[in-house]
This record gives sequence, C-alpha cells and structure tokens, in this order.
Amino acid sequence: MNEDRSDLELRSRAAFDRSVESLDSATRGRLARARAKAIAQLERPRLSRPAIWVPAAAASVLVIALVWRMDGREKPRTDVAQIPIEELQLIPAEDFEMLQEEEGFYAWAAEQMSEGVG
Amino acid sequence: MSRRDDPRGSSLDRERGLDRFLAGIERRAFRIACIALGDRGEAEDVVQDSMLRLVRKYGNRPETEWRPLFYRILRNCITDSQRRAHVRRAVTAFWPASASDEPETDPVERVPDPRGGPQEQFEGEQLLVQIEETLAGISARQREAFLLRNFEGLDVAQTAIAMGCSEGSVKTHYSRAVHALQAALGVSKS
Repeated sequence: MNEDRSDLELRSRAAFDRSVESLDSATRGRLARARAKAIAQLERPRLSRPAIWVPAAAASVLVIALVWRMDGREKPRTDVAQIPIEELQLIPAEDFEMLQEEEGFYAWAAEQMSEGVG
Repeated sequence: MSRRDDPRGSSLDRERGLDRFLAGIERRAFRIACIALGDRGEAEDVVQDSMLRLVRKYGNRPETEWRPLFYRILRNCITDSQRRAHVRRAVTAFWPASASDEPETDPVERVPDPRGGPQEQFEGEQLLVQIEETLAGISARQREAFLLRNFEGLDVAQTAIAMGCSEGSVKTHYSRAVHALQAALGVSKS
C-alpha cells in the first residue's frame, strides 16, 4: 500500500499515530480495564463428558473390586471402624479434585487398599 | 497430554492471544471512534462494546480473522451510537438539559499531558483536526474507508470484510475520500 500513497495520506497517518501515542493515561487506563472486562467474559472450557466419566468409572471399578474381595474368601486386614478417628486423614474437596486428575491416583489407591486401609 | 490437547492450556493461549490483540488495537480503535463520533465518552463505550462482542462471538475464531471482524463490530457499534445520538438530539430539543445535568469531568483528565508538544506535534495535531473536520463532511462510507485503510492500515480485503462490501467499493470510497481531503486541504497528489 505504501508505494502509491500520497504525501497527504502519509502525513495524516503519521499525525494519527502520534495522536494515538499521546493518549492521556486516564483514557489508557479505562481502555485497559475495558479489555480486562472483555477477556473475563471468555468462556472457560468445562470438563468434557469423557473427562468426567473416566474418574467416575474408575472409582466404580475400584469399589466393585473391593466389595468382591471382602465378600469372598479373604477377610479385610484392617477394619475401618477400628481406626482411631485422629488417625484418619481428611482430604479437602479441592485436593480430591486434583487427585482425580492424576492418572496414578487410582493405581496408588488400589495398592493402598490391597495393603490394608490405614 | 500436550498443551495443544489440553483444553485449559489452549484456553489460556486464546485468552493471552485475545489480550495481546486487544491491547494492540484498543487505542487506535478509540481514536477512530473519536473521529467518527466526535465524543470521547461515546468512543470509549463503543470500543468497550466492540471488545466484549469480539470476545463473546469470535474469540474462538482464528487469530487472523480478529482484526477485520473487530473493525466490523466497531463500525456497527459506531452506527448504533450515531442512531442513538440522533434520537437523543431530537428528544433534548424539546427538553434541554439544565446546567446541573452536565456530567462532571474527571479531575485526572484535566491534568495536562506531561508529554509536551514540539512544533511538529502541534502541526500534526492541526492537520488531524483539519482532516477530522473534512471527514465529518463526507459520506459515512468514504470516511470508514479512509479510517480503516489509511489510519488503521487494513488492506483492501480486510476493509471489505469490516465494511461489509466488495473490494471494488472499498477502492472507490477510499479514492473519493482522499480526493475530498486533498481538495479541502488544498494539496495535490504527489
């Protein structure tokens, strides 16, 4: 575009650029706030259905396996009801969500269960 | 899981991309809106609306499409604002505002810009004032073509998308705008 532009076009563009550069700080601040407000409207992606169902399915499998083992020949090595309450570790909901995202969590949980709760 | 496959990672990339894009365009868009509307407050409002609409409607579109889409939205917002102003003028002609209705100006805005103006800045501002006055007197389509092509630097194809017309029309409107400016400012094409 530059090759064919007249002196007037070039000078007017330069004047416009300078006017943009010299915008007062109050206006620049308001524009930046407006931008932040617009960006905040951006939709955050929700967990897709498979991402929700995979941990749920894994938990179900774990429970079924546990029930099957307890119902069968082996007796549980530890009775959960006998564990003193102060030795139980409570996991906050947000930590649990984080653990759910860890691929190794269920393998670790299964291993812990097979070794006995507590 | 790679960052590209991670929906939260790609969302963050998109958020950063939009922020970068809008940060690079907001001041120019504001000045263009000022020239089109002649009102700084209205100009801020239409730029804010345009940013919101771009993010909501087209935030997922490829980054290369944002610029012409943004200016198309800005153009629509400016047109809406001009219509509203027209209605307001018609209404206030019957009920003129009292002095107490005048909005108070922000004291920060009254503080002079510390970046003082050398002679060339002054001349540039004078030229810009003359251009703004001339642009106010030509057709809206010619004005849009000039603002988008010359001030914003959009190419013919992008300007056509922004204006919602053919590339041929953009060339015609732009050429007429330049001729009108040259005639008004007493300069010849060099």
